[in-house]
Amino acid sequence: MAQAQSAVATESLPYNDVIPGAVVGRDGEALIVNREKLLELARYLRDHEGYDYLSSVTGVDNLTHPKRQGVERFEVVYHLYSTKRGGGPLVLKARAPEDDPEIPSVVSIWPGADFQEREIWDLFGVRFPGHPNLRRILLWEGFNGHPMRKDWKEAYYEEEHKPYSSRWPYGHYPREEYKYPWQEERAVYKDNLVFPKGFDPDRWQAPEVEYRLGQDIYRELEKLKTDRIIVNIGPQHPSTHGVFRMVVALEGETILGLEPEVGYLHRNHEKIGERNTYLMNIPYTDRLDYINSMSNNLGYVLAVEKLMGKVEVPERAKYLRIIMAELTRVLNHMFAIGFLLNDLGAFFTPALYALEERELILDLFEAASGSRMMCNYMRPGGVAYDVSEEWVAQAKKLVFERLPRAVDELDYYLTENEILLARTKGVGYLSPEDAIAYSTSGPVLRGSGVPYDIRKVEPYCIYDRFDFDIVTEDGGDVYARYMVRIREARESLKILRQALKDLPGGPVIGKKKYTFRIPPGEAYQRIEAPKGELGFYLVSDGTANPYRYHVRSPSFINLTALGPMCVGHKVADSVGILGSIDIVLGEVDR
Amino acid sequence: MDVLKPQIGDWWHALLQGAGLSSGWIVFLDALVITLILLGLGLTSVLFAVWLERKLAARVQDRLGPNRVGPYGLVQTVADALKLLTKEDITPDNAERLSYNLAPGLAVFAVLMLLLVIPFGPGLIGADINVGVLYLVAMGSVGIMAILMAGWSSNNKYALLGGFRAVAQLLSYEIPMILAMSVPVLFAGTMSMEKLVEQQAHGRWFGVVMPAAFFLYFLAALAENERTPFDLLEADSEIVAGYHIEYSGMKFAWFFLAFFLNTLILSAIATTLFLGGWRGPFVEQVPALGIFYFLAKSFVLVFAFMWIRATFPRLRIDQMMAFAWKVMVPTGLVLVLVAAVFVKLPVAPLVRDVLLFLVNVFILLVVAGLVGRHLRLQIKRLSEGAAVVS
Repeated sequence: MAQAQSAVATESLPYNDVIPGAVVGRDGEALIVNREKLLELARYLRDHEGYDYLSSVTGVDNLTHPKRQGVERFEVVYHLYSTKRGGGPLVLKARAPEDDPEIPSVVSIWPGADFQEREIWDLFGVRFPGHPNLRRILLWEGFNGHPMRKDWKEAYYEEEHKPYSSRWPYGHYPREEYKYPWQEERAVYKDNLVFPKGFDPDRWQAPEVEYRLGQDIYRELEKLKTDRIIVNIGPQHPSTHGVFRMVVALEGETILGLEPEVGYLHRNHEKIGERNTYLMNIPYTDRLDYINSMSNNLGYVLAVEKLMGKVEVPERAKYLRIIMAELTRVLNHMFAIGFLLNDLGAFFTPALYALEERELILDLFEAASGSRMMCNYMRPGGVAYDVSEEWVAQAKKLVFERLPRAVDELDYYLTENEILLARTKGVGYLSPEDAIAYSTSGPVLRGSGVPYDIRKVEPYCIYDRFDFDIVTEDGGDVYARYMVRIREARESLKILRQALKDLPGGPVIGKKKYTFRIPPGEAYQRIEAPKGELGFYLVSDGTANPYRYHVRSPSFINLTALGPMCVGHKVADSVGILGSIDIVLGEVDR
Repeated sequence: MDVLKPQIGDWWHALLQGAGLSSGWIVFLDALVITLILLGLGLTSVLFAVWLERKLAARVQDRLGPNRVGPYGLVQTVADALKLLTKEDITPDNAERLSYNLAPGLAVFAVLMLLLVIPFGPGLIGADINVGVLYLVAMGSVGIMAILMAGWSSNNKYALLGGFRAVAQLLSYEIPMILAMSVPVLFAGTMSMEKLVEQQAHGRWFGVVMPAAFFLYFLAALAENERTPFDLLEADSEIVAGYHIEYSGMKFAWFFLAFFLNTLILSAIATTLFLGGWRGPFVEQVPALGIFYFLAKSFVLVFAFMWIRATFPRLRIDQMMAFAWKVMVPTGLVLVLVAAVFVKLPVAPLVRDVLLFLVNVFILLVVAGLVGRHLRLQIKRLSEGAAVVS
């Protein structure tokens, strides 16, 4: 009887007529996929259903989720989109039991899964057979365990959720010397220095970097008798935009292969996020992409709102959100252009010109939120503070007069410069197909001529009310990305002009709430952050803390394409290409 | 000691003779004093040039620049030099100690030796040797060796890359530079720096008569001095600091000194060869004015160097090499040929100068046009073409 029922249920599930037994059930919106058939289904979805864009791959540990007792422990969640059709996601889930945490790698179908699967292996300990380079990415080889597993406890672990009872005023402590219970004597794991079995730190050597060789270049160089040298660009290097390492194999000055190494700034943002309550997470999102904290706030808040179900946002708050997000975009793009020029060898001049305008925008942010960079401005259900009339007047002055001129100025001085053209045209080429396959987003994707802007294809907030265009450039090179940024800054100013003109009055937030009880469920919300697609994946188990909190960070995933883009160019170009991706390490390493 | 002759020079010689010194000693002491003056001029100019560079870059970038130490921050450089003195001197493991320690000294030595033949004022020259220009070229190449030594011996891959680039860039750009320098030499018929200045009397500057040669020299000097857009040797955004990445403290300061001295001396050479050296109004009456004119002209060029540095991004190594070999060397050869033809032309000097000027402008325009056209075509090809792997 039960068998018959499940057979009927399987019949009614999609894609089973094509690949029998691929989809075994539903979980809300998501389709639960038999992991044996995952690759087959994935290939079908990409080739025949148009799901060519793998936005996010992430893991969930179901160990302590009250609603998921009895299901297999690990699940890997895929969010697929179509760049041709636009619209919402197709969510796939593949599950694996605790004793056999293996799920086939989809890198062969969507190369953009490369870093994300490595991250899941690193943080959850789920293996991906078929992955070309499955080693830890954010943590080092000597790290004991996989920290995102629910049964993994950090050193000096106290409790599962914040606020920790010990930190409350008059918290309970048995004796005076235990007043601060996070002190070492009371720590669960006294020794912070635990290595995995069979790991000897003295004998440890950095793993050999596998680099991809461009075949035709290699053959050409084979004729010469030369030595290959491996150069580490970074982690301390002026042009890596933070602590980031590129392992570059060089033949003379030509790059044979490049492998990005990240994780120097890793703080396990997601684990912290799971300890926090929903509201406590907002300031933490500021620290992701610290150039654009407003966008991060917005993305996270939208994800929480999506999870909460119906949330009324006052009209004025809707406009303010747009204004802040778009100001951030202008700021980020000018910043990125300035520092791209720096990477190309300009002596700080364009960067400082860009920074000057950025400072003015940051003044606005400070006036609105109290902080220049760590804004902590958005809240579920609105924004934290209202802005004054003077603020609006100042913003109007900036948006209508000063910023357009500043963008024009950058454009005027830089765009036609011969050295800039010579250094950026044809450098770091990424074809539209590759751009989609590598899951790049933002200016990198649109610089390759793919008209994919989440504000248009899956509108959030009130972007559908404004008149603006998706900016694309066909070049696919550093120059195209540069041009996309210039033109996008103009489009943002266009949105800003409309939004500031129409800014209505009224409250900016409904009832202020400090704790949220959110019904069990899950939500994936992505926004078009200045650097690309910023996604937040939240799983709620009905408590005040997120059960799973994942950030799909654009900088991190755009880096997947860095290696292939650099191969065959000169070492000087790798820096420029990196600059054109525009990464922020706070977001890459999380 | 012509510059001091009317007043101090006579007094000085009378003093020495009064002390009962033989003429050999007087010549020796003369040379010693002049050397000290030259060194002092050179080194204090460096202090000023560093300050100028920082202040200028700051102005270009809408900043104030150094303004704390001394009036307008003028003493900032001294403070920085003192700071560098107190810093730890680090020698990396496995460095080739001999070359590593020798390189900074050699770099400064090579540049200081160049000071010898530069006429700072009428008669104010260390040694007016009859192959002055040749001496400049030969001594200038020693500096390249210092850079190569530093890059190779540091046991650092960035330094090694910087060293590679030094060989490639400095040697390539030396050729157009020598070609450009040989144009006024051909024209004046002498290699002596003093005589070259003499030939440019009455405002007939070789830089005005032959602007193309001057421009060529200026570009090559930019590259020789590792300044943007040709600063690939140190390219701070790519190979961090290039050949001197491992140097710290005073050894780094020596490289820094060599770098700025080199800027000054390349400008000084340009002034001597193309801008009439110390010549200017009333120099015959007041020879001391010559020093002022010379420094003023040199610093105008230094200003241009710095201005370009604060403005332009950097070229890539292959583009830079292509520019040297495909544009600058042929142009230099053409210019030498033109000068050789015109110097024998049986016409009045004024007519010859005007003709030469016109031909030079024509060559400049043609080269600029050709380069521009090539660039546009290449960019067009790149924007049309798909995957470009250079």
